[in-house]
Amino acid sequence: MTTTMQAPAPVRETRADRIVMICNYAALGLFTLAVLYPLVYVFSASLSDPKNVASGKVWLWPVGFSLDAFKAVFDYGSIVSGFSNSLIYAIGGALLATVLTLFAAYPLSRQGLPGKGLIMALFVFTMMFSGGLIPTYLVVDRVGLLNTRWAIILPAALAVWNVIITRTYFQVTIPEELLEAARVDGCSDFGFFWRVVLPLSKPIVAVNMLFYAVAQWNSWFSALIYLTNEHLFPLQLVLRQILIQHNVDPSQIRDTSELIRLKELQEQLKFSLIVIATIPPLLIYPFVQKHFVKGAMIGSLKG
Amino acid sequence: MQPETTTGGMRRRSFVAGALGVSAAAGSGGLLTGCGSADTAAGADADSLAAPPAVLGPKKSGVNYPPGYVGPVARELRPIVNEPVKFTIVVPQSLTVGDWNRNAFTQWMQQQTGIQIEWRQVAGGDDTMTKVNAMMAAGDIPDAFLGVTFTRSQLYLYGAQNLFVDLTPYLDKYAPNLQQVEKDYPDARRLMRSPDKGIYSFPDINDCYHCRASNGRSYLNTEWLRKVGLDVPSTTEEFREVLKAFKQADLGGKGRTIPFAGYKDAPLDTYFMNAFLYNPGDPWLVLNDGKVEANYVKDEWREGLKYLRGLYADGLLNKDAFTADQDQMNRYGNNPDRPIIGGARGYYWGSFLEIDEADTKARWRQYTSIPPLQGPNNVRYAAWNYLKVGLEVSTLVITRKCKRPDLLVRWADVQYDLEAILRSYGGPDFKWAAKGDKGINGKQAIYSLGETWASDTTKGKTWDQYGVMYRSGDFRLAERVNPRKPTFESPLYEQTRDDYFPYKQPVDLEFPPVTLEADQAAQDAEIGLNLKGEVNLSMAKFVTGKLDPADDGHWRDYLGRIAKIGLKPYLEIQQAAYEAFQG
Repeated sequence: MTTTMQAPAPVRETRADRIVMICNYAALGLFTLAVLYPLVYVFSASLSDPKNVASGKVWLWPVGFSLDAFKAVFDYGSIVSGFSNSLIYAIGGALLATVLTLFAAYPLSRQGLPGKGLIMALFVFTMMFSGGLIPTYLVVDRVGLLNTRWAIILPAALAVWNVIITRTYFQVTIPEELLEAARVDGCSDFGFFWRVVLPLSKPIVAVNMLFYAVAQWNSWFSALIYLTNEHLFPLQLVLRQILIQHNVDPSQIRDTSELIRLKELQEQLKFSLIVIATIPPLLIYPFVQKHFVKGAMIGSLKG
Repeated sequence: MQPETTTGGMRRRSFVAGALGVSAAAGSGGLLTGCGSADTAAGADADSLAAPPAVLGPKKSGVNYPPGYVGPVARELRPIVNEPVKFTIVVPQSLTVGDWNRNAFTQWMQQQTGIQIEWRQVAGGDDTMTKVNAMMAAGDIPDAFLGVTFTRSQLYLYGAQNLFVDLTPYLDKYAPNLQQVEKDYPDARRLMRSPDKGIYSFPDINDCYHCRASNGRSYLNTEWLRKVGLDVPSTTEEFREVLKAFKQADLGGKGRTIPFAGYKDAPLDTYFMNAFLYNPGDPWLVLNDGKVEANYVKDEWREGLKYLRGLYADGLLNKDAFTADQDQMNRYGNNPDRPIIGGARGYYWGSFLEIDEADTKARWRQYTSIPPLQGPNNVRYAAWNYLKVGLEVSTLVITRKCKRPDLLVRWADVQYDLEAILRSYGGPDFKWAAKGDKGINGKQAIYSLGETWASDTTKGKTWDQYGVMYRSGDFRLAERVNPRKPTFESPLYEQTRDDYFPYKQPVDLEFPPVTLEADQAAQDAEIGLNLKGEVNLSMAKFVTGKLDPADDGHWRDYLGRIAKIGLKPYLEIQQAAYEAFQG
């Protein structure tokens, strides 16, 4: 920088610095707008009269304020049950998956594990090659998971990607010397994991929770494949149904009244549903965010 | 068969609507054949054909049928079984139906028939078949599928593998209502059958009159026509003049006028090309003396492209006619303050603007459908859908897991009863019409379905058209019209009758719904998809000016691309399938 030792005057930016700053703010501002606008639009549209949305009057703020859309949403039993199911899948899935990930990643991060290379290779193998839809379905069927909540949680309970990130995090932040020191003090492996590793790993735990929870929250395909009981459907499947029920080819539709009905329904529910589906991830994000950058970055460095 | 040329008398007793043919008497012939001699289906109990044939109950009183009515009637229903029997049926997820177990029509059916259903819901949309295929592969098969749309080719494939039950002996013995349908519509059996003569589904009948002209409908704003002092155009040149006048008068204001609008789900060609050749739209296949041909390589098609190119170049079509989606189209149609579109391609008003039935001055009432245009060579067709509207196969499919197909067939047949139909798609709030009430076609009405189709009034009460029903033409038109609150159904019917029916093409030009063998089906899907992409893309390019339809080089290149994708093998597949359909 251009300051000198004896100058008490405030730090003066050069013109070049200021131009860079202005450009930075302008660019970042544009990015922010690009990210923020769709959010604001969807939020405004959900609070507007559907007619005004359809005719294009809504572009930033709500026009013809109405909460009807939200009332209508709660009129549909499947939406309410979908919401609670999604919470169960997201929270339950994230807890289980995080525990499994930590259990898998920690031993793999230690030097002394025999067969470490082979185990890791097997893990990575499953990243490249999967059994495919029908074989997986057969397995889920034969173990009796079909049409239960476990069919959603168990097959997604471990992501190798997350294991690798977590393993790297351990390797970087928990040096072998720490383990040796603990051993000298008479600490067992389990004690070390519980008393030393876990307290030092809050960021990576938070990152795992967030990754798994968001993945479960957004997923619908496994529910589509494994569930045939509507009471178990997650919110995304219900949301998807509303969006596609309308997108039928009009020339194929058998009844025009039907088409109108679907159109009304979609116009009414689309935006409010998106808002509802977005709120939970938006709510947890600020709490996890401070760990997020730290955990994910350390884990991914030197991977 | 000879096409009927009358415009008034709506005796659409044939599925070949408007082409009431010689077969009217032939259909009632061998109805109860197959009884006794036929074997039971694979997987079914031996005694599933042992019960005596089902008979219809006496007619219910208090229902007013119009004279000469052909269609479902309301009868006294009796339980099918005395001891409760349970079947597992896979159905699509639907917000309108809600929970299938607690649905009002489900409950009613159970009370009437004594048959219990364990419902298994699969998510709807394109991925339904992914799920269904996984179930099939895993052997995780229900007793039946309801409302899951298998193609004709899939039905045939699974039927030939004995996965789906050939219902022929059961229909002949336990489906008296369906037998009545076969008398009313002599073509029904031919359309139900696979090439191996097996019937692998219980069909749904929906003889929807206005649907037959859906692809060829276009609208113009009558207020605007009045303002520019022009009549409804009848030729391609007059049409161009009208659009030019709209543009010149700038009736939308501020230069925002769109004389004519189209969007990607309502292709322009199904209306405009019919001024040059008969064009039913995607997949653009037609018959010429028993030979299957593709429209999009014909010179007439090129002439049509030139005409559309002219309209587009003069700024008479919206710039995004090929890319706008439904939402964008609605924004044009619902423009605040005043309309900005002079006309639109659409299946009905709702394709391009909001239908407000309560308001007698609502904007949609300004738009009227216009007859097909007469081209320079005096061609003038309304693509009339004789064969692909009316009978849907695959609505109810019974599998080999089902021990008693006879009971499920009887259960399905009950749904053909008039009262069951009304409950199945209108809900329990329907009313019988009084004597003197007028229906959509102006004759005696039979029923009314309540004031609106608003989603929350029918939610959880109907089966949202997933059930099997017998909705004949007369039945559909016997819905009471509230004189104080006319819906769009009457104008839609009248405009179809007056604007399109008179211009329908001869029936033997229409490519029928064919069934493909498994290996053909794979090839058909692949080539067909590529052809569709190429035709649509090139049409957009020709019309918007990226390619010039008048340029011989461009046209030759286009034909070359089509040939390279495989038009020839594609047409051979279709030809073979057509010949199999003809038997």
